[in-house]
Amino acid sequence: MASIAHGEVKPGKRPADLHAPPIHYSSRVHPPLLGMYLFLGSEAMLFGSFFAAYFFARVAVDHPEGWPPFRPGTEEQFHLPVYLALINTIILVTSSFTAHWATTAIKKDQRSGVIGGLLLTFFLGLAFLLVQAREYSHIGFSPRDEAFGSTFYALTGLHGVHVLMGLSLLLMTLVRAIRGHYSAKNHLGLELPIIYWHFVDVMWIIVYVTVYVL
Amino acid sequence: MATHVLDGHGHHHEGHDDHHGPPPPWLQRGPLRRGGWLKALWTTPLSFGLATAFICGLRALTNWDPVWDLEVLLVGWTVVVPFGFLYGLGAFDYWLYFVTGRKTLPEDHSGHGADSWKDYFRVNTDHKVIGVQYAVTTFFFFLVAGLLALFLRAELAEPGSQFVDSNTFNGFTSSHATIMIFLFIVPVFAGMGNYVIPLMIGAADMAYPKLNALSFWLLPIAGLMMLASFIVPGGAFNAGWTNYPPLAEHVQVGNLLFQMGVQWAGASSILTALNFIVTIITMRAPGMTFWRMPLLVWANFTTSMLVVLATPFIAGSQFLLTFDRVLHTNFFVPEGGGYVVGYQHIFWFYSHPAVYIMLLPGFGIISEVLAVFARKPVFGYRLMALSLVGILILGFSVWAHHMFVAGMAPWLRIPMMVTTLLIAVPTGIKIFSWLATIWDGRIHMRAPMYWALGFISMFVIGGLSGIFLGSVPIDQHASDTYFVVAHIHYVLFGGSVFTIFAGAYYWFPKMTGRMYNERLAKLHFWLTFVAFNVTFFVQHYIGLDGMPRRVADYDPVYADWNLVSSLGSFVLGAAQLIFIYNVIVSWRSGAKAPANPWRAMTIEWQLPSPPPKYNFDEVPRVVGGPYEYGIPGARHVILEGGSELSTTPEPARVGAH
Amino acid sequence: MRKKSIIQLLILAVGIGAAAFVISFIGIPWLPKVGSEQGERIDTVYVLASVISLVIFAIVAAASLYAIFKFRAKPDDEEDGKPTHGHTGLEVVWTLIPTLLVTGIAVWSGVVVVKNDRLPADHMVVEVTAAQFAWSFTYPDLNITTGELVLPVDEPVELQLRSNDVIHSFWVPEWRQKQDAVPGILTTYRITPNREGTFAVICTELCGLGHAVMRSQTRVLPQAEYDQWVAEQQAAVDGGGDNLGKAAFVNNGCGSCHVLADANGTGTTGPNLDEALVGQTPDAVRESIVAPSAVVTEGYPDNVMPKTYDTLSQDELDALVDYLVKTTSG
Repeated sequence: MASIAHGEVKPGKRPADLHAPPIHYSSRVHPPLLGMYLFLGSEAMLFGSFFAAYFFARVAVDHPEGWPPFRPGTEEQFHLPVYLALINTIILVTSSFTAHWATTAIKKDQRSGVIGGLLLTFFLGLAFLLVQAREYSHIGFSPRDEAFGSTFYALTGLHGVHVLMGLSLLLMTLVRAIRGHYSAKNHLGLELPIIYWHFVDVMWIIVYVTVYVL
Repeated sequence: MATHVLDGHGHHHEGHDDHHGPPPPWLQRGPLRRGGWLKALWTTPLSFGLATAFICGLRALTNWDPVWDLEVLLVGWTVVVPFGFLYGLGAFDYWLYFVTGRKTLPEDHSGHGADSWKDYFRVNTDHKVIGVQYAVTTFFFFLVAGLLALFLRAELAEPGSQFVDSNTFNGFTSSHATIMIFLFIVPVFAGMGNYVIPLMIGAADMAYPKLNALSFWLLPIAGLMMLASFIVPGGAFNAGWTNYPPLAEHVQVGNLLFQMGVQWAGASSILTALNFIVTIITMRAPGMTFWRMPLLVWANFTTSMLVVLATPFIAGSQFLLTFDRVLHTNFFVPEGGGYVVGYQHIFWFYSHPAVYIMLLPGFGIISEVLAVFARKPVFGYRLMALSLVGILILGFSVWAHHMFVAGMAPWLRIPMMVTTLLIAVPTGIKIFSWLATIWDGRIHMRAPMYWALGFISMFVIGGLSGIFLGSVPIDQHASDTYFVVAHIHYVLFGGSVFTIFAGAYYWFPKMTGRMYNERLAKLHFWLTFVAFNVTFFVQHYIGLDGMPRRVADYDPVYADWNLVSSLGSFVLGAAQLIFIYNVIVSWRSGAKAPANPWRAMTIEWQLPSPPPKYNFDEVPRVVGGPYEYGIPGARHVILEGGSELSTTPEPARVGAH
Repeated sequence: MRKKSIIQLLILAVGIGAAAFVISFIGIPWLPKVGSEQGERIDTVYVLASVISLVIFAIVAAASLYAIFKFRAKPDDEEDGKPTHGHTGLEVVWTLIPTLLVTGIAVWSGVVVVKNDRLPADHMVVEVTAAQFAWSFTYPDLNITTGELVLPVDEPVELQLRSNDVIHSFWVPEWRQKQDAVPGILTTYRITPNREGTFAVICTELCGLGHAVMRSQTRVLPQAEYDQWVAEQQAAVDGGGDNLGKAAFVNNGCGSCHVLADANGTGTTGPNLDEALVGQTPDAVRESIVAPSAVVTEGYPDNVMPKTYDTLSQDELDALVDYLVKTTSG
């Protein structure tokens, strides 16, 4: 298969069989950027469906004791570590700034800024995940404990998976940055993971405000 | 990320030289390590073994009883094995190379195009090959799901229980609907769009060819998963294609294969839709403004917006259901504070827009066919395009009309009824504009035109019965009865499937380079048209009179009409064999098709049949509307434009490598 | 368009419309005869929507048939049609008129919904419990539980629906209404039956393997007969002693699936107990109640009878078995 795949010219082919025509761009938006924004729109809707489940459990079901509800069989409300999560929020918001630092640095071709920014972002993201893991292990209820537990783990867990994906992307970008694949003129491959990272950050703020604060 | 588009930038070939350089590293490996079926043959079982070992090993180590839990294993297999298979097939070769930090390679087109039939069975980045792959795969599933429908009509021909028990019967109804929707109607439009959209807008390929190849290969995976549910213990998923909990959480393990199959099919359609949108926005030929785009492109553009924004909701609904089943969470478990009706809200927030996902591309096909065969411009072109946008926006605000009797908040009923009924307005605009399009035309009654005109009358019936169901008081009587069954088939068979056949006959010469047999095509139409009405029209009556849907057995007073319906369905099924015969024989030995047998104006017909591997020698130049029939000297496109075309604008940013 | 063709088109449209009208309103009785006040209101919406639909269908069918025959090109005709791109006036017309029509349907439907939701304050209440695959009806004020719904005619009633397991839906076609019974939620169904007779109660939401056979019936009786029925039921429950078993039979809704003449059981979903239990030992009867899959009567599907009756109290179960053996031994 490979032999045909890389284009041996066979006799009798029409000219257009032989080569790709030039690409004509009909929009000033760069295709990968547009694709990323559409993908994020789709991701936001996935979060939306999880939020919908959360609001149904919270609003559509009657909770005379208020929200959070009582633990099953007790008169004691579920408790969330609001301040620990606030620290996590600060960590993640900071990481958005460090990520932005990397973006501005590459536009000026400052390699140290790029690598520093990416490294900091990566470790802040990792710290976020570790704090989250610690929170899970100390929180005292599981996803099986009432719809409250289910929706809490669903929203924070869905977000956690996104942080993990973002970290993998950042790691890949970091390796490429160290190898010098990006330049001031040529850095879309760095920008896209960082856009994704900002998205993960914004989603966390919404999750935090909804689940912990409100 | 970095794809064909980026790499191709500035890649102007002046002469007809063809230097693609050496093949990429992942093709320079031995046959067992190079992406392809041979490699998939060992990576697939390997991933299966790894998933099993991981899950059972973990459970054994943590003393989790039982070690062998089919529910958990099924989830593990359906998540991991597809990746193993796709990796073996080579769908990830480029990206794996990329994410491991190697330098980007210039596009070598190593996966592009087909020179023999074997090239249709590999990961191929050519949108035309992918279009054919989609079409053949989806029609295969059309036959499978149709056969399931015949089984269940055979059972329903008489009251009482004849051939199958109610477990098998419920499996038939559920998988018939699921496969028809997720593996035929939704993806067959993606396939047709894949083939014609880049041609229609004057592009060489889609924006992300590798992603395009991946989206196709996700589809047979989803289909096999759903069919596999027939062989797991307990039988096929049988809680209906809507899969409402709590029933879906209590029935046998095969239900998980519905949940996971829908995920893969959904991922496939999201990725394709994203690709369509980016292609249509960024890769139109010079002069192809939005107001000069063929309505098929408009239709796929709006459909793709619906897919990208709505499909995550069905993914969400099935994720939560799977969590409830496997992790024993409480999203839809009332004893644990869950809200049962919440599933229906989330599900229908996708599944109502899904009806438009299954209709709008068909609307586009009808606009193309009517204009060409009536030799007239589409009447009210702009309003036709805007009504698509209207349906797109309104489509998001009507989901709860499936739930008027479901026990949802009562105040929601009247607003949802109003938006539901209002969506008849843009739909009506389309019907009347189509009629005005053929009015005063020069109508050529070729096979695509039969299907297009048949579509109009059948779809009007489906639309009007939709108004009945949209009205809360009538819905209280008619919902969940055979009236709904009749309605959905007038919309999805008389609507979508008729447009699919119109499109299939219309583009058959372009896709295969051969003409189909016109007499067989017309026979196919008439048999289908008559048998379709015999099968489904009577169901309006038995439904209103008192027969609920999804029953294996029914009150004997409906025996006669059910027999009529079943007999009709057998003729309907047999008629489809004519189509299959016609396609196979014509593809092998039909008369050679000219470039433009229909004297159409849109760009795909100005190319040879089938089009060359890279579609165009030069970027075409669009100089007018797509339907200027009857206007002396009007042109839509100039293909041999000359060198003044080099005013190609640069994209705002330069690609990163 | 010339005058002649307008007239031809009109004749065609009126012809199709008349034919569709005959089929719709004269040939086939589309709906079962209405049996409730709410249903009569719903039927008015149905008629309104039908008339509008028929007119629209006639216009579309006439226009397309007319166009196909009138504007058909000869096979060698290479001419194009008239290049009309649109007509603002027409487009406004076919946007506005459908908008008005559907608004009309929406307003009228809304009025009917609001009226049907209203019920006088002193209405009857019946609690409806759905379970795989049987209905049971409890009259809280009368202390009666039965497997069939018996109501006095012309008396407004609110049914309060609950489900024990999955979603079911309560439908009486003659009453024109249905409502899902959803686990965890209380739903209501308001009805004023105004026609005497016996009507089917049908489950319309897929609820499992026995969905097709999850049927019961409702009897709408004149007030006097209803009062008599209430008295009989209360006597059956209050009898004590030997009747503890009969009370268990009635209270658990067994009669909605099984025929048992002594306890007015009329259901046909499961085997006729007057015949099937003749000559059975008490142990066999007990097994059929607590483990219905152990022995399945030929001709009846497995997994339809609920497997939850092993939770009956020991006394109740003993009495029920005793009662069943005695009543069927002749």
